[in-house]
Amino acid sequence: MAIAAVAVGTPAVASDRSVRWRRLVIPTVVVATICVVGAWIGDGVPTWLDARVRPWSDDVYDWTVQNNGDHWLFTRVFEPIADTLTATNDAVLWVLRHLRWPGVLTLVALIGWRTGGARAAIVGMLAMAGCGVLGFWDETMVTIALMLVAVIVALLIGIPLGILAGRSDRAERWLRGVLDTAQVMPAFVYFLPVVVAFGIRVPAAAIATVVYATPPAIRLTSHGLRSVPVVATEVGNSFGCTSRQLLAKVQLPMARRAMLLGLNQVIMMAFAIVVLASMLGVAGLGGRVLSGLQRVQVGQAFAPGLAIVFAAVALDRITTGERAKRGDRVRRRMPAFARGRAHIATIVTVGLVVAVAIIAAGAGADDFPSAFTIDITEPINDAVRWVNDNFRTGVPVVGGTGSFSDFLTLHVLNPVRDLLVDSPWWAVVAASFAIGWASAGWRLAALCGACFVGIAALRTWELAMDTLSQVLVIIAVSVLLAVPIGICVGRSNRAERLLRPLLDAAQVMPAFVYLVPVIFLFNIGRVPGIVASVIYALPPCIRLVSLGLRQVPIAPREAAISFGATPRQELVKVQLPMAARAIMLGINQTILMVLSMVVIAALIGAGGLGLETVYGLTKSEIGRGVAGGVSIVLLAVVLDRVTQSWGTHPRRT
Amino acid sequence: MGAGATSDSVIEVRGLWKVFGPRPERIVGSPSADLSRRQLEATTGNVVAVREVDVDVAPGEAFVVMGLSGSGKSTLVRCLTRLIDPTAGIVRIGGVDVTAADGETLLDVRRNRVSMVFQHFGLLPHRSLADNVAFGLEVRGVDKSRRRAKAEEMLDLVGLAGLGSARPDQLSGGMQQRVGLARALATEPEILLFDEPFSALDPLIRRDMQDEIIRLRSEVSTTMVFITHDLSEALRLGDRIAIMRDGRFVQVGTPAEVVGAPADEYVSNFVRDVSRSHVLAVESIMTLIGAGGAGTNGFSARVPLGTKVCDVMSRLAHHDLPVGVIDEDGIVVGSVDRIAALRLVAGEDVLDVIDGTGDR
Repeated sequence: MAIAAVAVGTPAVASDRSVRWRRLVIPTVVVATICVVGAWIGDGVPTWLDARVRPWSDDVYDWTVQNNGDHWLFTRVFEPIADTLTATNDAVLWVLRHLRWPGVLTLVALIGWRTGGARAAIVGMLAMAGCGVLGFWDETMVTIALMLVAVIVALLIGIPLGILAGRSDRAERWLRGVLDTAQVMPAFVYFLPVVVAFGIRVPAAAIATVVYATPPAIRLTSHGLRSVPVVATEVGNSFGCTSRQLLAKVQLPMARRAMLLGLNQVIMMAFAIVVLASMLGVAGLGGRVLSGLQRVQVGQAFAPGLAIVFAAVALDRITTGERAKRGDRVRRRMPAFARGRAHIATIVTVGLVVAVAIIAAGAGADDFPSAFTIDITEPINDAVRWVNDNFRTGVPVVGGTGSFSDFLTLHVLNPVRDLLVDSPWWAVVAASFAIGWASAGWRLAALCGACFVGIAALRTWELAMDTLSQVLVIIAVSVLLAVPIGICVGRSNRAERLLRPLLDAAQVMPAFVYLVPVIFLFNIGRVPGIVASVIYALPPCIRLVSLGLRQVPIAPREAAISFGATPRQELVKVQLPMAARAIMLGINQTILMVLSMVVIAALIGAGGLGLETVYGLTKSEIGRGVAGGVSIVLLAVVLDRVTQSWGTHPRRT
Repeated sequence: MGAGATSDSVIEVRGLWKVFGPRPERIVGSPSADLSRRQLEATTGNVVAVREVDVDVAPGEAFVVMGLSGSGKSTLVRCLTRLIDPTAGIVRIGGVDVTAADGETLLDVRRNRVSMVFQHFGLLPHRSLADNVAFGLEVRGVDKSRRRAKAEEMLDLVGLAGLGSARPDQLSGGMQQRVGLARALATEPEILLFDEPFSALDPLIRRDMQDEIIRLRSEVSTTMVFITHDLSEALRLGDRIAIMRDGRFVQVGTPAEVVGAPADEYVSNFVRDVSRSHVLAVESIMTLIGAGGAGTNGFSARVPLGTKVCDVMSRLAHHDLPVGVIDEDGIVVGSVDRIAALRLVAGEDVLDVIDGTGDR
């Protein structure tokens, strides 16, 4: 053994040169081979390279259409699930409607009061009332009912699995593989298989939302349990806790705070998807926005969009809870009933809400009073006309939205797209292979190459290149904007105070609503899609960059300053390098968000793969949708893994 | 081995090994276990935390394990109740073979016989102090009213009466560890395990807590295993001290033995800065006087056996005459003069036989 130890030590140095040599030669040879073979095959994707996904998916869909009345898979599995979900949804909606608007507002206020004190109660209640003021009370209730059903189901599945993953390393490994894949899938893609199995409307939307909201529920439960300090677990064990006692008395109570924060995220994600699920023919707020978008009537889309924002703010306020953020200090400032035992508070809450509902029923307050509602459709339409008249062209210096749009299309988007589309397909495969190799070695290289060949085989090459060109432009713009802003926010407390509320608010907005203001300014097409994606992806990127900078320990920074470094030197030589990993992870997150948004942007004319998916969903061309959806996932996998490797692999010297 | 090696010891450890890393069993007793830590980790990926430790702790004894960080002492104490499963060896607690025990027996040992006090207190932040103290009883299934009563009693014992409904984060570190102590005592265990309980506390509070332990020992006669990296703490609290290095015991003995006769250079480096007059008793430096020997009247004072040397220093400084040492019957058995005391302080070897009565 001792000899072995010595033997390990020496030859590493000697072989260093040959290893480096081999490291370069093999990828070069592989890339050259791809190019030679590709050139021999031809520049266009050859016709024989076809996974036949479209016809195959269409066959599956046809089969389900023909058999959904009698096959056991439908009568025994899908239909009972769908019926249960529909019934639950109807029941929740019945309760919400019978609480009437005063009862619901009371409920919102009381929940807000208990989780975050008076401020959360007032903000939550006002925001929720805002939905009514805009004239969308019932649509809001429809959306919230569906969201509640999906959240309940997601928690029923997610918490037990999360407990499993939190306590067993093997379960964690298994689940993490699934969750990581689930994370890179844009929400749209989930819809396709759900439509095949469940058709459209409520059950499909609920299932799609559950599928989307369950991974965070699992992840956050598991994370909560794993963040319980080792010593607490040891204490439990040392006093002779059984496994169940350890869970009930130590681990779950200590994970509670993290799990409550997680609940907020699950609710917000579910809400975003329920809104998007209007694509599946669900009524509610999303449906109103969608019909407005499809008819390019900004006014009709804007009002429900604003209602979505109000509802999101209300939900976020009453479920984040200042208490979860700031701990027990707030707890003492809360009303007596809220501080007390949970079941008493629950009884008081339910009692009050029911009482209010009964009084409201007696007073005949069935619908949100029309005296309070404001129709903003016409003013918005006027504003759009005004913007179109005044800002499209001829604004000094910037040129106006139309000019900007033309510039971006002609001088940035089109060149990038043409480069990607006009390049031989094998050159793109070879380039992705090389990038993968340079980033993290042959495994990633093989994955990248395989994904692009897969896209070719899905027969979506040109659309994929179109989408990829948009994604690359969006990423470049986002990073160029987010990194400097993030540095400002990360280094200046004033900038942080200024931007913080904006970043917080942006985080809870469903991706869908970002589409509305951009068509307001840019009409439809690729440019508004890009602008919406940038706006959508900026806040998290800024947040992660500034967080990365703020997490750099003070000691090395003080050391740099004590050696006389200027603020710039300190930033460039100490803070940025130490935050590099966090910043890369921020960019990675940004890319995933961009990708999910680019797909949604197809709704306002961004084209590309997203449009295929939208077609698949709305025109029942499932084959087209599946090919587009799978291509999106393949693109997502490549972009995610490559940027992830930049963030996690230590730089080679 | 020291005085406690009797068959009726409460804790009996035989050939205990703990090896971390892949396939740890193959390392135990093999030549690779003798590689340096670095070499072993490079070749097999294993780390030996505890190697071939034998211990016997007598009922009522305070056994201190002292070592630097990474010496394996915390792993050792966790192996005693299998918070960490040992790789090889046997641990018996009160005659029960813990290493071979099934789940139920192990729970019984943990619930009824052994309690542990943790380095960073390990209080559960979501519970009140009273519920923290009663945790062991709750796990055991004791009903609520008796738990409450016991918790109040224990909080009273550690000087936190009336704070039962407070939360852990409202207390200072010292007070938190008092709660940790109360929690460990509440189950009335035969054995208390302390894993560096005071290392996170300020020096003055640490001293208070040590006094607390000494006071508790005069009230309850629990066996203690005490892990520390602080030599003065070990000397204050221990009946016997084991010095641990690289997972093995390099010396086990009374404080006087460790300070007066270090087993090797490592230990002597350790104890070099200890003020030996505070640890060693007068008999270790006295000149023996035979029965009915001369000079029985030429003393400035008489002190009993076991008196620490530092306690006679002042008298030696002010009077030219030596101090007499008397046994239990009041008979003078030896004398200590200035020169002997000065030679001790100067660090010269203590030549006399040192016995275990030096402490207490």
